[in-house]
Parts: sequence; structure tokens; C-alpha cells
Amino acid sequence: MDGSLLFQSLILGILLGGLYALLAAGLTLYFGIMRVVMIAHSAFLILAAYLAWWFHRETGIDPLLSLIVTVPLFFAVGVLMQRLLVARLRPVTLTMMSVLLTFAIALTIEGLLGFVFSGTQRRIQLGYSGESIEVFGAHVAVVKLITFGLAASSLAALYVIMKYTKFGQSLRATIQHKEAAQLVGIKTDRVAGYGFGLGLATAAIGGTALSLDATIYPSLHWHWIGPLMAIIVVGGLGSIPGAAIAAMVLGIGQSLLQIPMGTTWAQTIFYVALFATLMLRPQGFFGGRLAQRF
Amino acid sequence: MSMKTTSIMRIGAILGAASLALTACGGSDSGSGDDEGPITIGVSLPLTGDFAEPGKGVQRGYEAWAADVNDAGGLLGRKVELKILDDQSNADRVVADYESLIAQDEVDLVFGPFSTRLVVPAARVADEYGMLFVEPAGAAPEVFEQGFGNLFYAAPAVANDHYNYLAEWIEALPADQRPKTAAYAAMDDPFAMGTAYGLKDKMEAAGVKTVVDEKYPPNTTDFSSIAAKIESSDADMIVGGTQYQDAVNLIVALQQLDYQPKLAAFSTAPTNPEFPEAIGDKTEGILSPTGYTTEATVATNKEFVESYTKRNGNPPGEDEANAYTTGQVVAAAVEAAGCAEQGECQQKMIDWLHENEVETVVGPLSWDADGRPQGAHMIQQYVGGEIKIVLPEDVKEADIIYPKPAW
Repeated sequence: MDGSLLFQSLILGILLGGLYALLAAGLTLYFGIMRVVMIAHSAFLILAAYLAWWFHRETGIDPLLSLIVTVPLFFAVGVLMQRLLVARLRPVTLTMMSVLLTFAIALTIEGLLGFVFSGTQRRIQLGYSGESIEVFGAHVAVVKLITFGLAASSLAALYVIMKYTKFGQSLRATIQHKEAAQLVGIKTDRVAGYGFGLGLATAAIGGTALSLDATIYPSLHWHWIGPLMAIIVVGGLGSIPGAAIAAMVLGIGQSLLQIPMGTTWAQTIFYVALFATLMLRPQGFFGGRLAQRF
Repeated sequence: MSMKTTSIMRIGAILGAASLALTACGGSDSGSGDDEGPITIGVSLPLTGDFAEPGKGVQRGYEAWAADVNDAGGLLGRKVELKILDDQSNADRVVADYESLIAQDEVDLVFGPFSTRLVVPAARVADEYGMLFVEPAGAAPEVFEQGFGNLFYAAPAVANDHYNYLAEWIEALPADQRPKTAAYAAMDDPFAMGTAYGLKDKMEAAGVKTVVDEKYPPNTTDFSSIAAKIESSDADMIVGGTQYQDAVNLIVALQQLDYQPKLAAFSTAPTNPEFPEAIGDKTEGILSPTGYTTEATVATNKEFVESYTKRNGNPPGEDEANAYTTGQVVAAAVEAAGCAEQGECQQKMIDWLHENEVETVVGPLSWDADGRPQGAHMIQQYVGGEIKIVLPEDVKEADIIYPKPAW
């Protein structure tokens, strides 16, 4: 195996891991806050990617600027979705019913995207799509670097919100023990709604990042939901650092395994990791007490 | 499970057909209406699901053909009527659809669906009923290895022969200019692999060394690792056995790694009108095989392009053309046999097609015993920002660019 290919693959793996981490972050939040299995998360990613593409096509402005609209929009949609739909599910069957509910939402988004934008595959054509920077002989694509920057800054922001703001503390309290949080005066329903909105806001960022370097089509979200689910289970449900670390490990793993094993087998790393985690450490590697409830 | 569904469908179909036969016997005027009524043609197409886009293209092509035939007075003086069902890109559904079209609806003729994965099960049903089966979109080798005597592929060449003109051209290059190494990346799909490996076999026989041979599943979204392998091999030429999104993603990933081959060929994607929109100004020199061009001067093509454009507002693509070709092939068989109903007539048409050549919008077609068309695809290349035919010599619109300019 040649050294420069190994180094190049490592760089690609890190960049890919960053994207995975960003895409999975929201998913682990929903699980953490209210045990909602959000199948529609990746459909919202694709929706955001389409909005970014559409925004770019209509205005010619860099698609990153669409975030100014999509992030608050997705936050609001998330809050509404939690208050109007998810909150009405009965707690006993919440996890199971949320699968059905969000499955339906995913299908609706896919159908609407197909209806409005047709099934034609789209790609944002940026002046710097094919550009790259050379680092010690390896090429780092500019778009991948931007994606990675977006991922890193959003995850850092998410971490700061969760750790240092009053809202973050209430959210964490809600995740840890809902009844106790209510006893100390936290309006857990409202907090859960905002938490859901926060998760969906990350989908807006993730989808826009995805749109920079991917060809998109309405049914693309089915290809993403499997690996993302695997990442958050390995990382530990509800743990954002866990999701980030698992995403990084799996992204690099996939990229390096590709060299000796080829694409088909390299992709199975997600499912092998999922299986191994469920057997050896079902709460995930960073999840702690919370995940044991599942 | 599908076996069970199929047999239930079959029983249902037999019952349906029996009750129809009974009512038909009761009526006294049943025989006379047959010749003057329309010729019905049953089709199942993937109008939703994975193959919805090309499926709709095929539908447009079939409808364009039916409209043109009816405008010209019909087939054997009878109007043609299409009965199109949606199989949702699902192989079980396609079987049930053709069962019910043939047995229950008693259509006179059938046309094939889109994609190898649907053509094979559909052809099996048609074969059981002894129906002529002309199809616009099953080019993979396995379609012709099933021993169907009733199947005909209505396009110039099977997948393995798509790059034939390119292979001949490379073989004819002086030794010092010829590529010495090649990288292949193909989607794990019978059609896509067929195109790439058809060229690979010929290149290996000609002494071009294979340095990368990657196969990836259809759901692959990240192509940077495959691109890294190809870039690291520094192959002189890259051949993609691709559909659409994979080709676009792979090409951009290769550009990001600054891999500069002397020759780059990808099946399907470059001929798609969306392609230059996706890749931008870096398409120069990219090659692709194609079975159809609106510019072709072969018989009936000009009329087809004109009438299609008038009806749809844009010129036809390859899927539309192959569907239209299917109609032309079946029409030729109907005219020659002088009939178009189920039963003996179907065999008459099948036999005729095995013996004869048919003029179509993609050129004259003839077939071997397994239904393989005896032709090759043209090779197109982006020259000066536009896709032009560069091979074979006698129909070329521009000279081939080699080596490929940097992308």
C-alpha cells in the first residue's frame, strides 16, 4: 500500500467524518430529548439541500447564504412538529409510533420534492467545485473544507449551547430526568419543542453542506438514514461528543478500508460497528446512563 | 412470496379470461368488431420509484410513436391504443402487470418496460404466452442469456459493445501515443458494468494494463475514496461504467484530486442535458457512448424529431428515441405479418424479425437469435463546450480530442 494514498485517504476520511458528525448531531438530540426515532431527519437534510440548490439557481448567490433563511425556518418547523405532532403521541408507545409518524413525514417530503422539483438529479455548480489545496502532497477539496468548517463550527456552537446556556441546561435536565426537571420548574414541554427545533436547525446546516458536494435527488435520504442511525447508536444516544467521535472513527474507517476492501465492503463498517455495539455495549460508547432506557 | 402472488394472479387471470370468453360466446356480433377496433398495446413502465425518470422518457417515446402512427392512419388501417401501467420500478409488479395485460385485458401486442432488472421478468411472462417482446432498455448481457426466442432489443448495440468504436480507435493509435494503463470504476448494475467491462476486455487484449478495477453499490454517495485510488494509480485513461449521479460525483471527486488522465469515458451521464449544468466548464474532452442523436440523418429520424419537438416543446432524448424505435420495430413486424393479435400471429412476427432488417430512427436494426442488435454505439465527446459525435469516422461531427485537456 502506498503511503501517499494512505495519507490522502486519511484526509478524506477526516473530512467525511466531519460531515457525518454534522448530519448525525440532530438525530442524537431527538433521541436524547424524547426518545423519538426521527426517520425524517435525513429527508429534512435533502429538503435543505434542495432549498440551497433552488436558492442558488434563482439568485446565483452562494448557497451558503440560504442558511440565513433555512436555519430559523427549520427551527420553527421543528418546534411546530414537536408541539403539534410528536407531543400527541402517547408516552408508552412513543418510540414505536414516532417511527411511523416520522416515516410518513419522510415520505411526504420525498413526494413533495419530486412533485415540485421533479426526480431529475441536481447539483449546485460552484466556481470552486473542483478546486483543491495541496497539503503535504494530499489534495484537500475546497468544498469539503468548507463543509468541514461548517460541521466543526455548528457542533462547537451546539456544545456551547448545551453546556453553558440556561436553555442548554434545561434541555440537559429534561434529557436526564424529565420529572425531576419539572419539579425544579423547567417547562419541559417547551424545552423539548426547542430541542426538536435545534435538531432540525442542524439538518438545515447539514443539508446545505451536503448540497455543496453531492448530486441530490428526492429519494437520496434513504441512503443516509442507515449510516446516521449507526453513528448515533455507536456514539451513544443523546451524546453529541459521542456522535462526533463515532462519526469521525467510522468516516476514517470507511475511507481507509476502501483501499484494501473496495467500496461495497467498506460501507458495511457501519453495520458491523452497529452490531458490535449492540452486542458489547448497548448504551453506546459515550452514552452513559441515559441510553440504558432503550 | 412472489411465486405465490404470481400463481394467484394467474388463477385470477384465467378465471377472468374464461368469463370473458363465456360472455363473448353469448354475443352474436363478437367476431366482426375485432378487425375494425383499435390495436391495443400493453405496457408496464416504472413511472414511480428508482427508474421513474427514464421510465417517463420511455412513456413519452411510446406516446409519440402512437400519435404519429394514428396521424398516418394507424396500423393495418386500425388505430393503435396504448394501455400503460405503473410497476413502481418493482420486479414483482412488472410480472403481475404483464400477466394481467396479456391474460385479462387481452391486449394485441406488448412493448417492453425500462431497465434490465424489469425487462428480464417481463420478457419471461411474454415468453410464456408466446408474445413478441420488443424492449427499449435491457442492454445487459444477461438479458440475452435467458434463451428468450421472442425478445428483441430496439437499440443499436448491447452494453458490452457500447465502447466498440472507441476500442478500435485506441487500438489504431501509434504505440507511443496509446494509453498504457487504465482505471475502471463501475456501478454494481448489469448495464453499467457491461459497458465498462466490454471496453476493459478489449483494452486488456490490446495490452493496456488495468491498474484500478473498482465496483461500487448503487447507493454509494461518497466517491472521494474511489477517486483517491484512481488518482494514486495515475492511470492514463479512466473508464466509468456509470449511470448519472455516480458519474457526476466521481468526476468532481477526480477533479478535486487534480487527476489528469489522457482519456476519460463515462457511460450514460455525459449525454444527459443536466450534465454540463452539474460539471460546469470542466467537461471538455469527456467521452461517452450513445445510441441516438437528434442530428442523425437515418430514415424517419428527421420526421420523428420534428413531430416530437412540436408535441413536447423539446427534442427527444435517448430513452424517447429507443421507445419510438420499439414502436417502429413492432409496427414493421405487424405490417409484414398482416396481423396483430395474440396466438399464431405473434410467432409469425417473431420469425419475421429474426430474418429481416428494420429501418428505425436509430438506424437499420437486425438481431441475432437471442435478440442482440448487430450494431455499435456512436462515441460522443465534449468539444468546445458542446457534445458532438466523434466516432465512427463516417458520421462524425467533430475530430476527437486526444489527449484530453486538463479538467
